Amino acid sequence: MGSVVSAVLVLAGLGAFLALLLVLAEKRLASSGPVRLRINQGEPREVEGGEPLLSALKGQGIFIPSACGGRGSCGLCKVRILEGGGPLLPTETPHLSPEEIDNQVRLSCQVKVREAMALEIPESLLEVEEYPVRVEALTPCTYDTVKVRLGFEADAGFSFRAGQYVQVETPIYDGLSEPVYRAYSISSPPSETRFIELILRRVPRGICTTYVHELLLAGDRLKINGPYGDFYLRETQAEAVFIAGGSGLAPFEAILADMAERGIRKKATLFFGAVSRRDLYDQELLREYEEKIPGFRAVPALSKPAPEDQWEGETGLITEVVARGYESMAGMEGYLCGSPGMIDACIRVLTEKGIPEDRIYFDKFS
Amino acid sequence: MKQSPQLQAAQARMAPGALTMDGFLGTDPRDLAEILEDDEGAVRRLGLAHEALAADLHRLTERAIGGFGAPVAEGPFELCACEAMGVLPCPFGEPGLHPKAVIEARRTDTGERLSWTALQVHLIRAHGFYEGRGSPFRLEPPVLARFLGLHPPPQ
Ligand SMILES: Cc1cc2nc3c(=O)[nH]c(=O)nc-3n(C[C@H](O)[C@H](O)[C@H](O)COP(=O)(O)OP(=O)(O)OC[C@H]3O[C@@H](n4cnc5c(N)ncnc54)[C@H](O)[C@@H]3O)c2cc1C
Ligand code: FES
Ligand SMILES: [Zn+2]
Repeated sequence: MGSVVSAVLVLAGLGAFLALLLVLAEKRLASSGPVRLRINQGEPREVEGGEPLLSALKGQGIFIPSACGGRGSCGLCKVRILEGGGPLLPTETPHLSPEEIDNQVRLSCQVKVREAMALEIPESLLEVEEYPVRVEALTPCTYDTVKVRLGFEADAGFSFRAGQYVQVETPIYDGLSEPVYRAYSISSPPSETRFIELILRRVPRGICTTYVHELLLAGDRLKINGPYGDFYLRETQAEAVFIAGGSGLAPFEAILADMAERGIRKKATLFFGAVSRRDLYDQELLREYEEKIPGFRAVPALSKPAPEDQWEGETGLITEVVARGYESMAGMEGYLCGSPGMIDACIRVLTEKGIPEDRIYFDKFS
Repeated sequence: MKQSPQLQAAQARMAPGALTMDGFLGTDPRDLAEILEDDEGAVRRLGLAHEALAADLHRLTERAIGGFGAPVAEGPFELCACEAMGVLPCPFGEPGLHPKAVIEARRTDTGERLSWTALQVHLIRAHGFYEGRGSPFRLEPPVLARFLGLHPPPQ
C-alpha cells in the first residue's frame, strides 16, 4: 500500500515539475524583447515580443477583423506572414485552405511575435483607425431599433465611403471578460464629419445590442474602429436594385444622402422588407429622397401586415416583391443589406432574373 | 470520456461573455467531456442519433429563416426566426461561421414551445452538444425528441 502511495506521489511530483518547466519555457519564449515587424515592405516597426500578432498589430493601430476576440475560432484574422512566424500551429490548420497554406496565410491571433517578421496586409485595413466617440443622441426608430449618433473629437479626421461600416467596441459589462467588437453600417452621409449615425436592431441576449439598448446613455464614451467594407455604390450607368431588411436600411440611408448631395444620377429602386408596420422606419426620409434623386423609388413591403396596419402597399416576402417587380434584371446591379438568410435568398432571385453574381454587392463576413 | 486539451480549449470558449453573453454551459458543474458523454447516452437510450435530431432541427430552422422574421407554418409547427446580421464561430474551434438566428417554435397540436439557435443545429450535428444545464438554450435530448415527434424505433 505504502509503495503505491509513494509511486503516486512521485508521479504527481514529476507531473508538477514538468508543468513548471513548460510554464518557464513559455515565459522565456514569450518575453523575447523588442521584435521588428515589416508590413507591406514599409519601414520596420518595433513591437514587444511575446504577444499574439493580432494584439501586437492592434498596438500599432492596425485593426485586423476578428469575431472571436482572438480565440482562434472565427478564422477572420488572416494575414500573410512572408518571414518569421514559426511553423504552422495545429490551432490554425483547420481554418486554412491548402492554397492559403501555400500562400503563407496565418491566423494572426494564434501566431506569437517572437522573431522579426515580414507581413502583407491589405492596404484598406491599414487605413482603419480607432476613434474615441461620445454618444450624442439615442433616438428610437421602432420598438426594437435605435439610431445612435456618435460624435468625434475635434479634428478626428474620420472619413469613409457611403455604404461602409465601423466596428463598435462593447466595453466590459456584466460577465464579459473582455471587450467585444461588432460591425454596424454607417447611416449618415460621408459629408458629415463631426459625427456618424448607426442603426442598431436589438438581438435578444446579444452582447453588443443589449449593452446599447439597455445601458448606453447620451453623454457616454465609446470606441469605434473603421471604416471597413466594399459595400458602396458603383457609379456606373447600370440601373440598381437596393434590397434592405431590418436595420439593413442603414447603409442605404448613407448612399441615398450621398447621391442626393453629390447629384449622382442612377436609376435605383429600394425595396425595404419588414414584417408589419411597426417594423418600418424613416419612411418620410425615403419619400424625401424620391423627390431629391431623379430616378429613385422606395418600395416598402410587409410580409405579415397586422390587421390594424390597414396596409395598402406591397405585401409578401421581399424576395417575392422584388421578383414581381421585374420581368428581367439583365444589365442591372444588386445591392443587399440584411440577415445572412435574406442575402442568400435575394442572391438566388437576382441571379435567376439575370444579374450576374459579380454585380451583386453585399457585406458578409466570410 | 477524458477531457482532452481540445475540449478544454472549447470549454474556455464556452464561458459567458467569450463568444455569447450567457455562454454555453449555464450552471452545469460537469466538464465538457462529461456533458457530451451523458447526452450521448441519453440520445442512444432514445434509440436516436444526433444526426436525426439535427436533420429535423435544420429543416425547421431553414423554414423559419425563410420567413424573414414573420411566422411560418410547417406541419404541426409554427416557427419564427429572429435573425441578426453577422455570424458566430463555433466554440469547438473548427472552421465555419454560423448565422445569428434564434428560432421560436410552437407545436399547434400540443401547444408546447421550444427555442433554439442556428448555431445549435451545427453543435448537435457536428459535436453531439446540447449545451450545459442552466444554459438558456440547453436542449434536453428527450424533450427535443418529443417536440420534434421523433419516437424511438421499436426494440
Ligand atoms: C458588415 C456588417 C454590418 C452590420 N451592420 C449592422 C447594422 O447596421 N445594424 C445592426 O443592428 N446590425 C448590424 N450588423 C450585425 C451586428 O454586427 C451584430 O452581429 C448584431 O448587432 C448582434 O450583435 P450582438 O453582440 O448583440 O449579438 P451576439 O451576442 O453576437 O449574438 C447573439 C446571437 O448568438 C446566438 N447565441 C447566443 N447564445 C447562444 C448559445 N448559448 N448557444 C447558441 N447560440 C447562441 C444567438 O443566435 C443570438 O441571436 C452588421 C454585421 C455585419 C457583418
Ligand atoms: S480572431 Fe478569430 S480566429 Fe483569430
Ligand atoms: Zn463546430
